[in-house]
Amino acid sequence: MSEFTIVLDGIAYGMVLFIISVGLTVTMGLMRVVNLAHGSFAMIGGYVAAVAVGAGVPFIAAAFGAALVAGLTGALAEVLVYRPLYRKGELAQALMTFGFTFVVIAALTAIFGTSIKTLPLPEYMSGLVDIGFRMYPAYRLFLIAFGLALALALWLGIDRSLYGARLRTAVDNPRMAGAVGINVNRLFQLTFAGGCALAGLGGVVGSALLPLEPYYALRYLVLFLVVVGVGGVGNFKGSFVAAISLGVIDTVAKYFLPSAAAYLFYGAVLALLLWRPDGLMPARSAQ
Amino acid sequence: MHTLVQGIRILFVLMLAVGPAAADTVKVGVIMSSSGPFARWGEQFRQAIEVFQKQNGKTVSGHTIEVIYRDDGGPNPVRAKQLAEELILREKVQFLGGFVFTPNALAVADLVTEAKMPTVIFNAATGLITRKSPYFVRTSHTIPQAARPIGEWAVKNDIKRVVTAVSDYAPGHDAEVYFSKAFKAGGGQVMESIRIPLATTDFSPFFERILQQKPDAVFVFGPGGPPTVGLINTWASRLKPAGIKFLGTAETQQIDLPKIGRSALGLVTSFHYTETVDNPLNKALWADLVQMFGKDTVPDLASVGAYDGMRVIYRAVEKFGPRVTGDQAIGLWRGMQFNSPRGPFRIDEKTRDVVENIYLRRVEERDGKLVNVNFQTFPMVKDPWKEDNPE
Repeated sequence: MSEFTIVLDGIAYGMVLFIISVGLTVTMGLMRVVNLAHGSFAMIGGYVAAVAVGAGVPFIAAAFGAALVAGLTGALAEVLVYRPLYRKGELAQALMTFGFTFVVIAALTAIFGTSIKTLPLPEYMSGLVDIGFRMYPAYRLFLIAFGLALALALWLGIDRSLYGARLRTAVDNPRMAGAVGINVNRLFQLTFAGGCALAGLGGVVGSALLPLEPYYALRYLVLFLVVVGVGGVGNFKGSFVAAISLGVIDTVAKYFLPSAAAYLFYGAVLALLLWRPDGLMPARSAQ
Repeated sequence: MHTLVQGIRILFVLMLAVGPAAADTVKVGVIMSSSGPFARWGEQFRQAIEVFQKQNGKTVSGHTIEVIYRDDGGPNPVRAKQLAEELILREKVQFLGGFVFTPNALAVADLVTEAKMPTVIFNAATGLITRKSPYFVRTSHTIPQAARPIGEWAVKNDIKRVVTAVSDYAPGHDAEVYFSKAFKAGGGQVMESIRIPLATTDFSPFFERILQQKPDAVFVFGPGGPPTVGLINTWASRLKPAGIKFLGTAETQQIDLPKIGRSALGLVTSFHYTETVDNPLNKALWADLVQMFGKDTVPDLASVGAYDGMRVIYRAVEKFGPRVTGDQAIGLWRGMQFNSPRGPFRIDEKTRDVVENIYLRRVEERDGKLVNVNFQTFPMVKDPWKEDNPE
């Protein structure tokens, strides 16, 4: 039964990868901004929730409150930092968003100090649950359920909705979208804020595996980019499949071949990208 | 403009009046990480130095001890070397101190030798360092020094089969080798030696593998910093229920314990400094840290390394005055001993490395707070690496 546990562990880890990266699928994938500051919004969400939980707010309420704060910060950053960059090319975007990350790191260090900020899990998530053949951490089961719910909500909300159609139109051809009456600026701002809110939510929900500290945004940047890249930029289903496969591959490799674990993850990424350079499921509208 | 010139004249006259002979300034350059992911180290150094100066005064026989801090930003040998050059040539410091990371300490070795600059390593913990310059002494510990005693203890305390799981970098390898050697020498069996990649965030597959092997205990050397919390929580949810004990070294530092939470209860580690050591110096250090920097401040290995480092430097100025040379200082420091917040402290006459007690500790709850509590002492342990690698 241990093999089954390992697969379950892998799925749970994959779900964390999905939950923390899905916001980037929105901002970098759908909107095509090289958003290296994704982790900053995740971290802002995490810190807000940590403060709220410390003040007695229930975990789930704190998580959604934190997502809201991260989203509002994102909306503000969209106007001040991102909007001037949409037409500036990828290098300018990479430099600016990377710089923005350093600003956030410095600000959080100044306010909260350099050590880890704890975000305690609620009682019902921190224990072990009997899953028939063994005791299993409740938090991991929560991650799996939460990841599935999030994936479903996004699929319905973006892939299958009028809003999603408008957004894809606006990204592909902003002038034409404007001409048919879509308020492109507003749509972008809303979507960017949504992506940042998802980042914030991911920062909170994933914090027991990826602990919060000022360098969070840089420490996990590669993970975020890998999931979005392997999945196919701008595709939720792709990100989901990529995150779960990478999670399972990584976990199974570490279990059976711990000595090779360091490079098996990146080996898998390399193999997948050689096989499908545009990702597992490239977006249909990709140019 | 006129008043400024006048001001400078007055200042100049005043300086002449005070005169150089009566009181010199002795500069101490401290190279540490005070920005970036390892900024906590710099903060702990600086706070401990300020406490030391509060307790012992900022002057030694009338000579002001001025500490000049420089930030290397993390493991960055090139930067460390530049800073050392700047401190020696431009600031004309008389002592160097600090060094969180081994590569940074190694990078200044040749420079320090050439300048005959007495240099005190406050932290960097590979055995090799003090060999690299005759002007190095160390006030922290070495990894083998901490890892060997817990191997000896474990095999005598009903732990016969162990899996080691160390972070895959030089200090982790050192810990694995010295723990295993001591453990096997006592008749124990090391079932597997796992090396965990440094970038690991999810430790569960490794611990699941260990669970299947059913050892009596797992010996862990963590990567330090944030991942430690995940490491210990994974042990608590997977291995603890199966009765597999946790053995470690630096994983249960007081500063991290509140973040790890109650999972940490019962962890056994061996280390050269325990925050609850019962001696007046340690109590005063903690009390002053709290008084000067807030109630959540706690001393750790960085604090005690810097605190004793300052003691060593003060002793040299006391004995030889402000013009102390490198050879005089090193001569004095060889074989020097005194009481430290950690307990008795000695600098080995031959190796210039620290000789100190290694404590076996267990995490317990005291007054609602998680702390390490000593239950056995290995008195005055020398660095085993030097015994195994004779010059």
